[in-house]
Amino acid sequence: MLNLRSVEKSFGGLKVIDNVSFSVKKGSRTALIGPNGAGKTTIFNLLSGIYEVDNGSISLDNNDITQIPARKRIDIGMSRSFQNIRLMPHLSTIENVMLGQHHLANSARENFFPLGLIKSNKWAKLAEQSLIEAGLGTYPGQVVSELPYGIQKRIEVVRALVSNPKLLLLDEPAAGLNSSETAELQILLEKASSTGTTLLVVEHDMNFVRNLCQHVVVLNFGRKIFEGTPDEVSKDPQVLEAYLGGDDNNAS
Amino acid sequence: MLILQQIVNGLMLGSVYVMVAVAFTLTIGMLNFLNFTIPALFMVSAMITWAATAAGFHWLVAATFGMIVAILASLVIERFTYRYMKAKYGDATEHALPLVSSLGFLIIFEHVVIMIWGTDPMTFNSPFAHAKFEISGIIFGIPQLISLALSLVLVFGLSLLLKKTQLGRALRSIAEKPDTATLMGVDVGKIVPVVFVMTGFLCALAGILFTVNYQHVSPYIGDHVATNAIAGMVIGGLGNIWGAIAGGLLIGMVEVLSIHFWGADIIKVPVWTLMLLILVFRPAGLFGHTQIGKGKF
Repeated sequence: MLNLRSVEKSFGGLKVIDNVSFSVKKGSRTALIGPNGAGKTTIFNLLSGIYEVDNGSISLDNNDITQIPARKRIDIGMSRSFQNIRLMPHLSTIENVMLGQHHLANSARENFFPLGLIKSNKWAKLAEQSLIEAGLGTYPGQVVSELPYGIQKRIEVVRALVSNPKLLLLDEPAAGLNSSETAELQILLEKASSTGTTLLVVEHDMNFVRNLCQHVVVLNFGRKIFEGTPDEVSKDPQVLEAYLGGDDNNAS
Repeated sequence: MLILQQIVNGLMLGSVYVMVAVAFTLTIGMLNFLNFTIPALFMVSAMITWAATAAGFHWLVAATFGMIVAILASLVIERFTYRYMKAKYGDATEHALPLVSSLGFLIIFEHVVIMIWGTDPMTFNSPFAHAKFEISGIIFGIPQLISLALSLVLVFGLSLLLKKTQLGRALRSIAEKPDTATLMGVDVGKIVPVVFVMTGFLCALAGILFTVNYQHVSPYIGDHVATNAIAGMVIGGLGNIWGAIAGGLLIGMVEVLSIHFWGADIIKVPVWTLMLLILVFRPAGLFGHTQIGKGKF
């Protein structure tokens, strides 16, 4: 479904992504791992169009999307969450979630129609339903900056989900979550996956990766060093050297 | 009774300040951009309304001309200050450049008007000069009442638009995080001009109502009204629409009452003293800083 072919990206002469190619199968749950600074978030920023690709190409369902502007990638079925929460801090939870539907509800009538006044509005209902399904049903009216980190983190995943993505990019969704929040997140993602959404996850928590993903791509210093199942990854000497070899506490 | 009359007059004048103050507060709250061309938008619409009426057009047609020109001028400012700087330097809001270039546009617009019509104040023959009524000795001018009602209705509508519609939500998300809003599919390039259309509309309406109410225009009227509107906005709280209403009305009253007690010569002193006092004791203004904007100023 998603194909990266010899993707390269440099910042001021420093090559941060060097000839990276990999594929994400339709309906799969793929993890992108690697030590800090390996280029995982850069790959995500290239995928979501925040950065332009220097060389190589990215395609989604066999369509080249390398040149598609960031704003339009949500239209073609890609949405993402962020390593550092990027909700709108002064908007309410439901408004943040409804922002994920912006590209779906974009007619003139929908733009000017007072959504908040009409509780029966279909988008508001859908957003609220998604929050309830994610176990966040008690927060719709609250301003997100007042909510705990773990809840904001999951609201961001819900916001990405309501845009009906074919491919959901999650940048460290479990970082900073406690174990029960991580478990809830996993259920939420498995539910999304079971309805056909393809997942690509950047994550440091190897337990989370093992539980969720069937396929793992390992990056180090901007290059792909390995690709395989979670079990193969944890046995590969090159990966152990680069990623699991140090005193990384997450790598159990 | 005279005092009561002055308070009524102050509220009526204040309604003009409210519209201009809301125009300022919108661009600050949404784009973090102090748009110095606002006085020119106000003045241009007033001058064109006067000129077209003098040329024989019906006052409504003339006012429509004024409105259209002010909105177009506002879009020119968007194109060459805000958008140009953003394209060139990334986030325009982090630079003083848009502010300075909008100051440039202010001076250019004023001097283009001076080149065409000169600097003399002109008299506008209002069709409603004698439309007024009296309630227990207090005179209410009908056009003034209409402008007070219009400004309140407009601002209420604007607040509804910002709070309750999808367009408003898109605007508020641009105010908070334009880059993330873009990734959510919000077309920042299309929606930012909406703010400038609103700015142009509010300034033009204020300019037209001012002309009809006070029956004189000059290339400099924008400066006086807009500086008072800025004071009103700061008093109410930067970026806060309801604060702009309260601040604008308050400034109108302070101005009219100071003229009543101390004469027209020191008119600016009480207004700006009040603003400075508010800044010292309540730096966030009477109503606090914005709920709609970035919450960072």
